[in-house]
Amino acid sequence: MTNAVQQVVVHGGGVAAAMAALAIARAFGRLGTQVSWVDTGEAPAPHAALVAPPDIATFHRLLGLDDAALIGGAAATISMGQQFAGWSGGDSAFVHAYGDAGSPFASLPFVQHWTRARQAGLRVALEDFSLAAAAAKQGRTGAPRDAATRQAVKQGWNLDAAGYARLLRDLCDGAGVRWMPGTAVVPRPGGGRIEQIDLASGEPLRADLFIDADGALVAALDPDAAARRPGFCDRLIRGSAPAFDPVPLYSRVTAHAAGWLSLIPLADRTAVEFAYDSTLLSDADARGLLAAAAGRPLETGVPMPVGAAARLRPWVGNVVAVGRAAGDAPMLDGGELLLLQLAIAQLVLLWPIDGAAMPEADIYNEEMAGAWARVTDFTAQHFRLNARDGEPFWNAARAASVSTELAAKIDLFAARGMFAHFNHEAHVEDSWALVMAGHGVVPRSFDPQALLTDDEALMAEFQRQLRAVASDVHAMETHADALRRMRG
Amino acid sequence: MGDKFDLVIVGGGTAGWMCAAACAAKLDPARFRVRLVESEEIGTVGVGEATLPQMKDFNDFLGLDEVEFMKATQASFKLGIEFVNWGRRGDRYIHPFGTFGRPIGEADFFSYWIRAHRAGTAAPLFDYCFPIVTALQNRFMLPNGDGNDVRSAFAYAYHLDAFLYARYLRAWAEARGIERVEGRIVAVEKDGESGDIAAVTLASGAQVAGDLFVDCSGFRSLLLGTALGVELEDWSHWLPCDSAQAVPSARSDDFTPYTRSTRRKAGWQWCIPLQHRTGNGYVYSSADISDDEAAATLLANLDGEPLADPRVLRFKAGKRHQAWAKNCIAMGLAGGFLEPLESTSIYLVQMAIMHLLTLMPDGAAIDPALPAEFNRVMDVEYDRIRDFLILHYVANEADAPLWQRVTAIDLPDTLAGKIDRFRHRGHVQAYRDGLFGPPSWQAVFVGQGIVPRAADRLADALPADLLDERLAKLAATIADAAATVPSHADFIARYCPAPAP
Repeated sequence: MTNAVQQVVVHGGGVAAAMAALAIARAFGRLGTQVSWVDTGEAPAPHAALVAPPDIATFHRLLGLDDAALIGGAAATISMGQQFAGWSGGDSAFVHAYGDAGSPFASLPFVQHWTRARQAGLRVALEDFSLAAAAAKQGRTGAPRDAATRQAVKQGWNLDAAGYARLLRDLCDGAGVRWMPGTAVVPRPGGGRIEQIDLASGEPLRADLFIDADGALVAALDPDAAARRPGFCDRLIRGSAPAFDPVPLYSRVTAHAAGWLSLIPLADRTAVEFAYDSTLLSDADARGLLAAAAGRPLETGVPMPVGAAARLRPWVGNVVAVGRAAGDAPMLDGGELLLLQLAIAQLVLLWPIDGAAMPEADIYNEEMAGAWARVTDFTAQHFRLNARDGEPFWNAARAASVSTELAAKIDLFAARGMFAHFNHEAHVEDSWALVMAGHGVVPRSFDPQALLTDDEALMAEFQRQLRAVASDVHAMETHADALRRMRG
Repeated sequence: MGDKFDLVIVGGGTAGWMCAAACAAKLDPARFRVRLVESEEIGTVGVGEATLPQMKDFNDFLGLDEVEFMKATQASFKLGIEFVNWGRRGDRYIHPFGTFGRPIGEADFFSYWIRAHRAGTAAPLFDYCFPIVTALQNRFMLPNGDGNDVRSAFAYAYHLDAFLYARYLRAWAEARGIERVEGRIVAVEKDGESGDIAAVTLASGAQVAGDLFVDCSGFRSLLLGTALGVELEDWSHWLPCDSAQAVPSARSDDFTPYTRSTRRKAGWQWCIPLQHRTGNGYVYSSADISDDEAAATLLANLDGEPLADPRVLRFKAGKRHQAWAKNCIAMGLAGGFLEPLESTSIYLVQMAIMHLLTLMPDGAAIDPALPAEFNRVMDVEYDRIRDFLILHYVANEADAPLWQRVTAIDLPDTLAGKIDRFRHRGHVQAYRDGLFGPPSWQAVFVGQGIVPRAADRLADALPADLLDERLAKLAATIADAAATVPSHADFIARYCPAPAP
C-alpha cells in the first residue's frame, strides 16, 4: 500500500482522546500504524459521571476493557435503565429500561395487545410487563436462567468520568500509543488538510491523519460549520452526594421548573447534575436547589456553560473531530458516550485506504449525521412529550421544533403503537415504546390482527406474563452480588 | 352488515387475490367484511413469474402448504438470477439469494476476497457461494438447517404461473369467507364532500360501497390513478424500457433452478422455467426496436418450441405519488411499475399487503399518521429497487444506442457516488429497510465488472498464506457440498410434481 496511513496523531484529552487513541492502536497498530497522543491535559469536569448505554459492552471488548477494571477503576455500577420523574408533573415516574417491553404474543409486538387492553380499561403500565424495568425497580439484575418471560435484559454502566478516562489512558500505554503532553499546539493547514502541528516547544509533528478531540485542528480547516438545535438549558452544575445503600440499578432524571436534575449512582458516591436555564434561575439559586433536591450532604463544582451545536462535517480533509470537538451531545439518555462510541467505531470501519486522499470522509459524515440526528431525536422526545402544563420552561420545551423524523415517530406511535424506522436508529423499538408510553402516550388504535385473540385468552396471557416477570425477577441476583461476581 | 368495516378489493389478478387471502387469514370476520370485485371479461397480466425468497414468508404467513402450492402453480425453485451479457457481451454471473463466503476473520468475507483478488490468489467471487455453485449445475436442495454446513446458508424463491397462483388463492380465500363479486366496473362514485371513494358501479348497474378500497386494477389504476387523479412519478428517463413481449415455450432439458436475464440490443430477455413450460419475454425500449423485430428476436432465442404467439405489453417505469390517497390504496401495477429484472413485482404487492394489515384504519375516519407511514415505507421500497435496477443498466458497455444512452444518464441522488465508493474500497451502505443488502450489490458490481481497488484495512491483519489457505478450503468445501445435491428436475419430481395442465 503506497499511501497507507502510517502516522496518526490524536489531539485532545479526557475520555474521547484516550478512547480514540486506544481503539485505533488496537485495530491498526498490528499493521504498523503509529499512534501518537498529544494530550492537552483536559480532564473530565470535577464530579462528572457518564451513563453508558448497554451496547457499549461490545465496544469495550474491542478496547480490551473488562468489567472488573470498570468496577475497580471507575466506581462502575450496573445501569439497567433510567428513571424519569416528574416529567408529567407531580409524582409521575417511569423507567426507560434496557430490555423488552413485554413479550411478543400471537405474532404481534406486545404493545399492540397492551394498547387494545388499555382501550378496554386495563390500567397496568407498559413497563410492568417489562422484565428489565421490573427487575431494575426491585434491585435485581443479571440474566435469570430459563427465563419464563424470554425477555432480553441488557446492562449498561454508570461510570465515574475521571476514573474511566484514567482506565483508558492506562490501556493506551499497553497498546503502544506514544503519549506526549501538548498544550497550545499550532495547526499548519494547507490545501484543505493539516500536514503538521507545531508543539509548544516548536517541534513539528507530522501525520497522515489527525483525530481531534479538542477542536482546534478541525476549526483550522472548517471554522464555524456547526448546526444548532434546541438545547433548553445553558448551564450545568455538578456535585457529589454520598452513595446510596443499596445502590440503585438505574439513574434518575427529575424534571424541575427551570431544568432537570440527574442522580447517577456510583459505587462510592452519587453524582448529581442540575441542568437549567440561566434566564429563569440564577447560578446561586441553582446551587441551593441542587443541595435541596439531592436531599443529602453535597459537594458542588462551579456552574458551567453547555451548548447544543454539532458539526455538519466532523471529518474534514485529514482531520476527524470526535467527542466534544464534533459537537455537544444530547445531555440525557447516555447520548455522550453513545455518540462517541459510534464515532470511533465508524472511523475504524472506514479507516482510510489512502493517506493522500480520503473519500471516506463523505461516507463518514453521512453516517454520523444520521446517527446524531437519531440520537438527538431520542432525547428530544422527552421535551416534546412533557406534560408539565403551565410552566414557561416546559411549555417552551413542548413547543420547540423537532425533526420531521421524530414528528413522524410520535404521530405513528400515538396513532397505532408502531415505529417509523429510519436509517441510523441507535435505540431499539422497545426503548421508544417504554419512553413514549412512559410520557403518557397511549396509542389511539392497534393492529387489527390483535383481534384474532379473544378477550379471555388475552387476559390469561397478561396474567401469565405478569407472573413470569415476578418469578424471573425473583430468580435474579442483587446489584451487590452481581458486582462482586464480575469483580471476580 | 351494520358496523362492520367494509373493505373492497378492486381487481382479481395476483395482487387482488394475494390481498384477499391475507385479509381472510388475518382479519376478524366479525369486524371486517371483505369483498373482491373482478370481471371474467378482463384478462390479467399473468406470465411466468419469478419471485424473491420473501414469498415463502408470505405463504407461511397465510399458512399455505408448500408442496400443495407448488403443485397448484406449476412452480419450480429459484436460487438466483443469471445475468448473461450484462457488463460485457459474453459475461455471465448469478445474483444469488445468499451471502458470499463465511466469516474467516474479523473483517467481512468480501474484504478478504478483494484482498486476495488484488493479489491474484482468489478464485472468482461466485465460487465462494454455495447456491451459485449448486445452481450452475442445475441442482437443488432445501436448506438443511445445520448452521455449520454451507448447505444451510441460502434462501430460495419460486418460479410460478402467476395466473394459477391467483386462482389458487381465490379458492383459498373464498373458502375462508371472502366474497367475490363478478362484474366489470363502469364508474367510480366519489363522496361529494370528502372526495373519498364511496362505491364502484358495475356494468349491471349494481353498486359496491365500502369504507376502504384496495385498487388492484392493474396498469389502468382505476381508482387511485383515474378516479382520484394521483399521477405517476415518471422514472422512464432512468429506466427507458416501455414494452415487453411474452411467450411460453416447451420445457427445455436444461431445467435451471434460476431465472435467466439476457441483455440484448434494445433491452433484455427473461427465461423462467416452470414445471410444464418455460416463460419467456423480451423487455425493450420501443424507441430502439420495432415490435416485429422484438418478437422475432424473442422467438429466435427460445430454448424450446413456442406454445403461443408473443403477446405485447406496454408500460412506463414509475410509481404513483402516493400509494395510499383518501380511502384508496393501490397495489401491484395500479401503484407503480418496475420492470421484472430483479423479480420484485410480487414482493412489492406483499409489502403493501403487510403494511396495510398493520396500518388498517379502525374506522371510516382515517388517522393521517397511517397513510403517511404507508406511503413513506412504500416509497423506500420503490426507491431502493429503482436504484438497484438502474445500477444494472449503467454498468454496461455502450454497445448499442440504448446502452449508450443509459450508461451516460444522470443518476438519482441516492445512487450517485455509490459506484465510486464501491470502486474505492468495496463500500456498500447497509440499510435497515428495503431490498438488496450488501451481498446483492456486491454480486451486481463484481458481476458487471466493477471491482474494488482496495479492501477494508482490517482484512490486512490476517497473514496472506493463512488467507489463501482458508479461501481454498472454503471453495473446496462448497464444491464438495454441491456435488451431494440432487438435480433440480429430480428434486421437483419427488417433492412437488404438478399434474400436466
